[in-house]
Amino acid sequence: MNVPRLIHRNVTRNPFRSGVVFSCAFLLAALPFAVTFITEGGRASLQRVLGRLGADLLIVPEGAEVKVETALLMGKPAPVWMPRENLDKIARMPEVARLSPQVHLATLAGASCCSASEMFIVVYEPDTDFTLRPWLDQHLGRELGPGEVIGGSQVFLPNPKANILVYGSPVSLKGNLARSGTGLDQTLFMTSETAREVARMSKTRAEQELVVPTNQISAILVKLQPGTLPERVAARIAREVSGVTVIQSPALFQATRRELTGLMRIIFVILTLVWLLSVTVAGLIFSLAAHERRRELGVLRALGSSRAFVFRLLLAEAAALAFAGAAGGIALCLTLAFCFQEAIVFLLKIPFLFPPPLLLAALVLGGLLVALLSVVLAALVPIWRISRMEPAQAMRE
Amino acid sequence: MKAAAASLIVLALLIGVIPQFTDCQSQGKAIQLPNGKTLPMKCHWTARAEIAVAVPLLLSGILLISCRHRESRRNAALMTIVSGLLGILLPTVLIGVCAKPDMPCYALMKPTLVLAGSLVVALGAGCFIRAVRQRDANP
Repeated sequence: MNVPRLIHRNVTRNPFRSGVVFSCAFLLAALPFAVTFITEGGRASLQRVLGRLGADLLIVPEGAEVKVETALLMGKPAPVWMPRENLDKIARMPEVARLSPQVHLATLAGASCCSASEMFIVVYEPDTDFTLRPWLDQHLGRELGPGEVIGGSQVFLPNPKANILVYGSPVSLKGNLARSGTGLDQTLFMTSETAREVARMSKTRAEQELVVPTNQISAILVKLQPGTLPERVAARIAREVSGVTVIQSPALFQATRRELTGLMRIIFVILTLVWLLSVTVAGLIFSLAAHERRRELGVLRALGSSRAFVFRLLLAEAAALAFAGAAGGIALCLTLAFCFQEAIVFLLKIPFLFPPPLLLAALVLGGLLVALLSVVLAALVPIWRISRMEPAQAMRE
Repeated sequence: MKAAAASLIVLALLIGVIPQFTDCQSQGKAIQLPNGKTLPMKCHWTARAEIAVAVPLLLSGILLISCRHRESRRNAALMTIVSGLLGILLPTVLIGVCAKPDMPCYALMKPTLVLAGSLVVALGAGCFIRAVRQRDANP
């Protein structure tokens, strides 16, 4: 009988004992993996949104930073306004390389003149825009024409030839941005020309007129000259332009980041307790198993097996159970996360995107290692003690 | 076989019950008509249709536990596979759910049914293979 077969028979012979160790390893791997996976998924999502904005500074009306962040993260429309003249004041600053205004709108709730209820609409100016420019260059190769829009990854039409109805005006969906795991996936992007046309037609076609103020904007995206310190420019803008809040790109979504960090801290405490409990239970199970199997291991020794062989055999048994439990736990977490990624975003109210493949591989390996090392560590002392026992003594007792 | 059949019974209950509490109707959402009346969204009909999938699935599970005949088990396993496939197809192809990802039917009901349906198909396939391999001497 070879070693793997011996391990298999030992594991299957006592399903309760093996089941408990399997469950401990399952918990040891699944819990830390799930927590780090979701927080890293949240960070990956925020990172993608920041990369897509492509701005060093985001300028919003004073006190509207949470509303704008919520609109960008959860796609909940919150039209906020500031004077358009702010744009000229900021453009005059030598540190500013490019800047582009945005107007945030929303479709009507439950109105027949709008295909989607309360959909977040971002209106941009093609002449100055640098947020959608890379996508347009790569996928469309031209500017959006009048009546044309781009949608987030979840904006679609049941019939590809149909149009989306916005305030009674049909607009044509020309493509979808990559998934970001945030509310931007449900956002519609249109040029200011299209928005003005939709607003003009809404007087006769919509249940309620769309008002796009010509002298008001919702946000300004600013790209700085290379080598410029963003904090210095942010301070200058705050000093010279009244009624605005300047958010530096790394500080964007701070509330969500704090939430993720806070969640991580709370769960870390719970995880430590679960880890201690699981290691203790696994250690206890291995102590009982070692005691129960003294005769059997004594016979093995009497038949000529060395101490090292018995030690390795028991350790391999523990490692096999730990690996199976950890792999099962991680596989379940991944399956659930894959199936319920929309639920994570919209029910837990946190952004979520599958982390990049390398990070994902590192998380999987980390989860497996934590469980493997913990179970092996818990089993080490009882296994060492039983393997040191003389065969005669083991069989007599 | 018994463990698989017991799992199938639990899955049948999940498939029958969970959609009734995760469709838009159960959350008080409905299509508002211009005349003021409301219509249930299509996820509601998916939820109702899943009951028709859950009942035969439940019976299959009971049959797999109680019957010892090879043919009965094989046929029950086949019925299980078909029920599982229908459980997946109803929210994805045949009827569907609402299109908005923040709707409970899209975020919860659809993935739950797809996951449960996949498990049912896998368990049904396992039971079928075991039933086919079952010896005639031990019917």
